[in-house]
Amino acid sequence: MTRVGFLFALAYRSSIVMTCVTLVAQVFLLRMIWTAVYGSRAEAAGLTLEALLAYLTLANLQSFATQTLVSRVIHHRIRSGTVFFDLARPIGYLRQMAAFQAGNTAGSLLLLAPVVPVVLLVGSITAPVNGPGYVVTLVLGYVIAVQLALLISLLGFWMLEIGAVSLLYQLVSQFFAGTMVPLAFFPGFLGTLAEVLPFKYMGYVPAAIYVGHISDISGPLLVELAWVAGLWALLALAWSRTHRRVVIQGG
Amino acid sequence: MIRVDGLTKVFRRPRTFSGPFGALRTLVTRQYEEKTAVDDVSFDIGEGEVIGYLGPNGAGKSTTIKILTGILTPTAGTVRVNGLVPWRDRSANARRVGVVFGQRSQLWWDLPLIESLRLVGSLYDMPAARFEASLKKLRDLLGLDEFLDTPVRQLSLGQRMRGDLAAAVLYEPPLLYLDEPTVGLDVLAKEAVREFIVETNRTGRTTVILTTHDLADVEALCKRIILIDHGKVLFDGPIDALVDQPRRLVVLLESAPEEVRGVSRDDQGRHVFDIHGDLPAMIASISAEHTIRDLSIEEPDLESVIKGIYAR
Ligand SMILES: Nc1ncnc2c1ncn2[C@@H]1O[C@H](COP(=O)(O)OP(=O)(O)OP(=O)(O)O)[C@@H](O)[C@H]1O
Ligand SMILES: [Mg+2]
Repeated sequence: MTRVGFLFALAYRSSIVMTCVTLVAQVFLLRMIWTAVYGSRAEAAGLTLEALLAYLTLANLQSFATQTLVSRVIHHRIRSGTVFFDLARPIGYLRQMAAFQAGNTAGSLLLLAPVVPVVLLVGSITAPVNGPGYVVTLVLGYVIAVQLALLISLLGFWMLEIGAVSLLYQLVSQFFAGTMVPLAFFPGFLGTLAEVLPFKYMGYVPAAIYVGHISDISGPLLVELAWVAGLWALLALAWSRTHRRVVIQGG
Repeated sequence: MIRVDGLTKVFRRPRTFSGPFGALRTLVTRQYEEKTAVDDVSFDIGEGEVIGYLGPNGAGKSTTIKILTGILTPTAGTVRVNGLVPWRDRSANARRVGVVFGQRSQLWWDLPLIESLRLVGSLYDMPAARFEASLKKLRDLLGLDEFLDTPVRQLSLGQRMRGDLAAAVLYEPPLLYLDEPTVGLDVLAKEAVREFIVETNRTGRTTVILTTHDLADVEALCKRIILIDHGKVLFDGPIDALVDQPRRLVVLLESAPEEVRGVSRDDQGRHVFDIHGDLPAMIASISAEHTIRDLSIEEPDLESVIKGIYAR
């Protein structure tokens, strides 16, 4: 299944290339805007302009890398009834879908690789303050992203029409990941909300660790592990309930 | 091999409302419509049998097959497939079963056919050598070579169906569920599918449950059929018993009398006699009394017999 996910990314390379172009454009625009906002100020909310630009560049790269296709594929397969075949396999459904996503991410990263230098050039980058911490928190953040995507996808077994829900989910997750504005700038209530939601682990937290804005990683790491474990249990529960009422369309 | 007893499946879906706010009411309603798709169905199927599972549209055939594969949980009744309860021992059951749904495909649309077959190989834990051997056999049997590397969306229906058959039997399951495997195929492609089923059944002693609307499939492949309608079994037995009826003589008479020799005129103005014994003598004696305008002899065939059963 991993292989299928990988090939899927290559089969849809034109759409991924388009996303890469968007990525470059977005990083460029963010750089312009934030440079203007900072003006002659040296730093804001404890971030120098240099660190902020590095942060934004990274966060956007990450947001691309942790994007998931799996909910769209699941949605499509439920609607067309081909999900029947996934369910008829001797291997668990969620495991198959997670493997698909892993392969798909690998394929997308392969296509992304040549664009990385361009993004770094357009944006800005500094040497990592805490490289290993960055990698570990990012990988866990990716796991959380996949788990959440699977959880959303399971809704499709209940509602059959989840286009709007997944669009909303995408917007919310992007925003609260902090790819446009670092979470440190979120005011009051919004800040608290962003703080408790798990989306920051896909964008803000790893990037902030990279640029040294967060120095003690043990706290975020523990919370991430708790999220992974909690979502794991939730997925298992949700799947066992969903499983029992599966209805396949058409005959 | 398969033992089904009192199988019943009731679908429950929220009632749909029309009119203003209909969609909203549908969403929040607690009222349900119930639809009994399979109603107290029982049968036994032995190893190596090829069963024609027949019935008109909406009879409950596909629903039965979904239950047998373990995808759907029945509302009532028991099922044992090789001693397993399909929906409880899903994974173990899945390894021993191959499925084709002619109306849809298990092949990945955007990828070359070979990739879907590779996926099947890995999902069913096939060692590389066994995969290659099985693939080799299927390539010859189904003529896959010309389109093995073509993306599935570019295949013709017949080619796609061959690909689907290959994916279903790749891991050599002892049991095959084929739901309309010849739907939409031309005569030659149908013939190829039938030959493949015969071959698979013969060499692997594979048990096959086949649903189809093409009775030629049934005549070519099945010794026994199970007929269902509205979820209920109407007939279960050998085809021979079903078509074991006398040939019939159909005559159209000039005078079109109400009744001739105890046979009354049908709605097309014809008289239909069962043929027993001497046919020329029978015709001679009728023409002695009436002028025959037209005459034909009907062989008992599956189609008319089955039509008769549905009509009851
Ligand atoms: N998911 C579902 N929800 C509600 N009713 C369903 C569902 N699936 C099937 N049904 C109903 O159950 C009945 C049997 O459907 P099924 O698909 O088993 O028929 P079938 O014998 O395969 O027919 P066909 O020859 O047309 O394929 C139909 O009346 C159908 O409307
Ligand atoms: Mg059907």
